[in-house]
Amino acid sequence: MIILQALVNGIVSGTLLAVPAIGFTAMFAVLRFPNFSVSGVATLGAFAGYLAYGAGLQMAGSLAAAFAVAGVAGLAFDKVAHLPLIKQGALPAAIASIATGLILENFVRLGFGNEPRGYDRPIARDVFIGEIRVSPQQLETMGLALLLMLLVFAALAFTRIGKAMRASADNPELAALKGIRPERIATLASFVGMGLVGVGGMLLGLDSSIDPLTGTRILLSLFAAAVLGGLGSVPGAVLGAFLIGMAEELSVLVVGSQYRAAVGFIAILLVLTLRPRGLLGERAY
Amino acid sequence: MTTIRIGRRAALAAGVAALASPAVVRAQADPIKLATLTPLTGAGGPYGPVMAKAAASVVEEVNKAGGVLGRRIVLVSEDDQTNPEAAVRAARKLIDVDKVAAIMGTWASSVTTAVAPLCWESKTFLCTVSGADSITLLPHQGFLIRTQPNSKLQVTRVGEFILSLGAKKAFTMIPQTPFTQSTFDVLNQVLPKGGCTHQSLIYDDKKTTYRTEVDQALRTSPDVLLANGYTPDTVVLLKDLYRAGFKGKILGFAYSINQKLVDQVGQPEVVEGVYTFAPSPAEGSGAFEKVKAGTGSANPDPYTCQVYDHTNLVLMAIANGKAATGEAIKDNIRKATVSGGKVVDNAVDGIKEIMAGGKVDYAGASGPCDFDEKGDILDCKFRYEQIKAGKFTLVKIA
Repeated sequence: MIILQALVNGIVSGTLLAVPAIGFTAMFAVLRFPNFSVSGVATLGAFAGYLAYGAGLQMAGSLAAAFAVAGVAGLAFDKVAHLPLIKQGALPAAIASIATGLILENFVRLGFGNEPRGYDRPIARDVFIGEIRVSPQQLETMGLALLLMLLVFAALAFTRIGKAMRASADNPELAALKGIRPERIATLASFVGMGLVGVGGMLLGLDSSIDPLTGTRILLSLFAAAVLGGLGSVPGAVLGAFLIGMAEELSVLVVGSQYRAAVGFIAILLVLTLRPRGLLGERAY
Repeated sequence: MTTIRIGRRAALAAGVAALASPAVVRAQADPIKLATLTPLTGAGGPYGPVMAKAAASVVEEVNKAGGVLGRRIVLVSEDDQTNPEAAVRAARKLIDVDKVAAIMGTWASSVTTAVAPLCWESKTFLCTVSGADSITLLPHQGFLIRTQPNSKLQVTRVGEFILSLGAKKAFTMIPQTPFTQSTFDVLNQVLPKGGCTHQSLIYDDKKTTYRTEVDQALRTSPDVLLANGYTPDTVVLLKDLYRAGFKGKILGFAYSINQKLVDQVGQPEVVEGVYTFAPSPAEGSGAFEKVKAGTGSANPDPYTCQVYDHTNLVLMAIANGKAATGEAIKDNIRKATVSGGKVVDNAVDGIKEIMAGGKVDYAGASGPCDFDEKGDILDCKFRYEQIKAGKFTLVKIA
C-alpha cells in the first residue's frame, strides 16, 4: 500500500515537474542549447506569481503574471547573453545560462531576502480515496498543470505558429525555405518556454514555499526529466517528468530521501549510456 | 614644546612614594588586561556590541570595588567581524600588543576555531559562546571553556522533554547535517531509558514535498515527532504533517520553528500545539538581573548573559590563582563554582569571599557554569514554548 501511495505522490510531483520540463525541452528543440537559467527563471516566476496573488489576483491571473514575467526575463537574457554565444557552440551558451540563472537568483534575493515565503492559500486536510491519501490542493494544482500541458499540445498540433515551431525544430533550413523566419520562432520559443518554466516555479511553490533557491532545487530533476524523455521532445519531457517524479518518491522507500539527488543523476547516466536520444527520441512532437 | 625636566632626586622620591603608597594607587600603573573579541560587525553584529557592554559592566563594578589582587582591570574590546581572518588579526594584537590574560566572547564557531590555537599556544585563556561540538575537541590544553551547550547536551534535554510528554513511540525527521548522526545516537540512548522507542528518517532538505516521507513516519504511528530541520524545509514538513492528519505532538528547535515560520505557514491550526525548545539564560536569577541593569537591555540574549559569566568567572579565577595570567585562569576557572561554596552572582562578592579565604559557587546569568574536563558546560537552562493560536507561549524554563 505504501508503494502505491508513493507512486501516487510521484505522479503528483511528476505533473508539477512536467510543466517546466516542457518549457526547457521546447527551448532546446528550437535553440539547440540546454538553458540552465531555468533555475533562476523558475524562481522569478514563483515570486512574480506570489506578488500577483498577494495583490489580490485570482489563480489564473497570478499564473499569467508568472508566465509573463518569466517569459520576458528569460527572453531578455536569451537575446542579451545566450544567443550571441550560440555561434560558438552550445557549450558557451549553456555556461552563460548557468551564470544568468545565478544572476536572477540573486536578483530575487536582493529584493526579497532569503526567508521562505508561502502563498496565502488555505491548507486542507487530505482526503482518502480507498486507502490512498490525496490532497485536494495538490489535485487542484495538478489539474492546472494538466490543463497547461493540454494547451501546449493543442497549440503545437493545431495552430499555424505551433506547426511552424515544430517544423523549425525538425529542420531549420527546410523551415526557412518554406518562409518560416527562424529568429521569430526562436523569440517565441524563448518566451513561451521560459513562461512555462516560470509557471512551473509557481505551481511548485503553491503547496510548499518559495525562496531564492526554489528553482535551483528542481533544476536537476527537471534536466533529468528532459534528458530521460529525449532532449527536445515535448511528450518525452512529460513522460520523463512522471518517471523521475515516481522514481524519486519510490527511492525514499528504498534508499532513503537523502539520496534523492542520485535518482536524477542515475537517470541521466543510464539514458546517456544506453539510449542517448532519450526514451522518445528528439522529435519535437 | 615644553620639556618637563625631572631631576634624579625627584624621580627617586616619586618611586619611593609609589612603592610606599597603598595597593589601589599602585594598581593604576599596573592593570590586569582582559579582552572581549565579539562580532561588532558581520552576521553576529546584532549580538557583539551588547556582549562587549556586558563584560564592561562587570569590569566597571569590580574596579569600583577596588579591582582584583589590588590591581585595576582594563578591558580591551576588539571586533572579530564575524570573520576568521579578521578575528585572527585582532587576536594577535590582543595577545602580542595588549598582552591580555584572557579573551572572551568569541561568537561564530569558525572564529573560535581560528583563534583558539593562538590562545593555547600563547597561554591566553579563551571563553567562547560558539556551539560547534568540534571546538572543545581541539587540543586546547585546558585554555578554553564554552558556555553554549553543545549539541549532545541539547539533544539529551530534547529527549528528556519528549519523555516528559509521555511519549511511547518517538520519531525524528531530520535533514543531513553535521549533527544528524549524533542526534540519533543521543536519542537512541535517552529515549529507551524512559520506555520510549525511537525511529528516524533523514530527508532531503531540498525537496518541495515530504508526502512520502510523512507516510513513512506515520506508518510507525508515533505519538511524538521531532521536526529537526531548518525553517524552509520545516515549513513544508509541518504542512504535510497537517495534511496527513497527524494527531501526535510535534516538537522542534526554536531556531527553525519561530515566528517567521508561523507567519509563513499562515494558518494557525497547522502549527497549533507545536512545542519549541532553545537554550535559555537563567531568567529571574540575580545574575540575569545584573545583566539587565548592566546592559540596559530588558531581555538580554543568551550570548550576552554568557559573556557576563565569562568575565565574572575569569576575574574570580584570577583572585583564586593570585595571578593574572592565562595559566592561573586555566588552573582556577573551575574553582569559581565549587559546590558547597558561598553562592554569589557577581565577581565583586566572589572576590571578596575568595580574599577572605572562602570558597564560592557562582550562579551565572546563563546557568550554573560547571564545566567538564573538555571545557563544555555540564548543564544549562532550556526554554520550552508551545504555539497556541499562532502565538508562542512559555511552557517552562528548566
